[in-house]
Amino acid sequence: MKHSQDMNEDVAEILISEDQIRVKVAEIGKRISADYAGRELTLVSVLKGSLPFMADLMRQIELPLRIDLMEVSSYGGTSTESSGLVRILKDLSAPIDGRDVLLVEDIIDTGLTLNYLLRYLRGKNPKSIKVCSLLDKQARRLVEIPIDYVGFEIPDAFVVGYGLDFGEVYRNLRFVGVLRPEAYES
Amino acid sequence: MSETGAPRDPQAENAFAHASEAEFAHILDFYQVAWEYEPQVFPILWDLDGNVLESFAPDFFLPDLDLFVELTTLQQHLVRKKNRKVRRMRELYPNLRIKLFYARDFRALMVKYGRSALVSELSGALGQVGPHQNQEAGVEIAGSGGPAVGRPLDLSMPGSAALDTVGPHDRRSRGARRRAVRRAAAAYAPNSTAT
Repeated sequence: MKHSQDMNEDVAEILISEDQIRVKVAEIGKRISADYAGRELTLVSVLKGSLPFMADLMRQIELPLRIDLMEVSSYGGTSTESSGLVRILKDLSAPIDGRDVLLVEDIIDTGLTLNYLLRYLRGKNPKSIKVCSLLDKQARRLVEIPIDYVGFEIPDAFVVGYGLDFGEVYRNLRFVGVLRPEAYES
Repeated sequence: MSETGAPRDPQAENAFAHASEAEFAHILDFYQVAWEYEPQVFPILWDLDGNVLESFAPDFFLPDLDLFVELTTLQQHLVRKKNRKVRRMRELYPNLRIKLFYARDFRALMVKYGRSALVSELSGALGQVGPHQNQEAGVEIAGSGGPAVGRPLDLSMPGSAALDTVGPHDRRSRGARRRAVRRAAAAYAPNSTAT
């Protein structure tokens, strides 16, 4: 994969600006604060893409809360080809039974990963489990799962930035942008 | 779960009409989503005598999601016929959920999983596993030698169709499946006998 030294050169357009993200994250945080008032909330972030969103969102929620991190393997990853099955690469560090859990995602497209994660987490007997995603790419949806908190519905385009990568690059862009096809076409 | 967790089996791979379908099945397996390959055949066109003239067998059924998926990796301008079939199926069976995955969707999936280099060999004519027939035609049934020219076609839905199934986990050859479809269609059609 080839990418420019200046990552901005690989971005065809800025889809969601830094300011738009900031406003939206504050808005979601306010809603979550109201919805979970008086309850014991655990935010579970799915590595690696949701890290920036999680970091910003948790600071917009005015409740005592816990955070935890999970990572699952992705299809096509070399480390998983021997088993051919999705694997938990990093599990929760604390039990969630009896707690209200909010799964924090960067983007939901096919819903396959989310579907797997929800089944896995439900097996740990949380009191409730809801989903919060910064981006929702409905056009690619295969598994219909209700998303309780959505930042932006986005068109069918390959997006990077604000945690989203291509080949592990572009995660540190402050905005969400559409990647130029030349950057991912071999 | 029909195939979930199963190791890659070359014979099973050959059961798919197209390499993209095998890849799609691997993705579903990876994420532990149950699937069945072409388990049902839906009549979509009848003549005035009730004989099935055309049917459609979506590539996958995902039982846990109650969703049919039709995968096509042909170029967008070549999918007109498949679009028509899916549209017709939605009209006739409005309670069924079907998703059409186009070449661009498949390509995006491959890019997402870092497998963009495989897109060409898994798509279009290159990805066909069986004889190089036009997969775009899908499963076509001609009741008695195909729709006769000038013969009026009945485009109305014949009540709530009791859909025949070719059978889940079907690993027969495409020819065998086509024969099964013909038998199913013949059995479905009123006033006809299975051949």
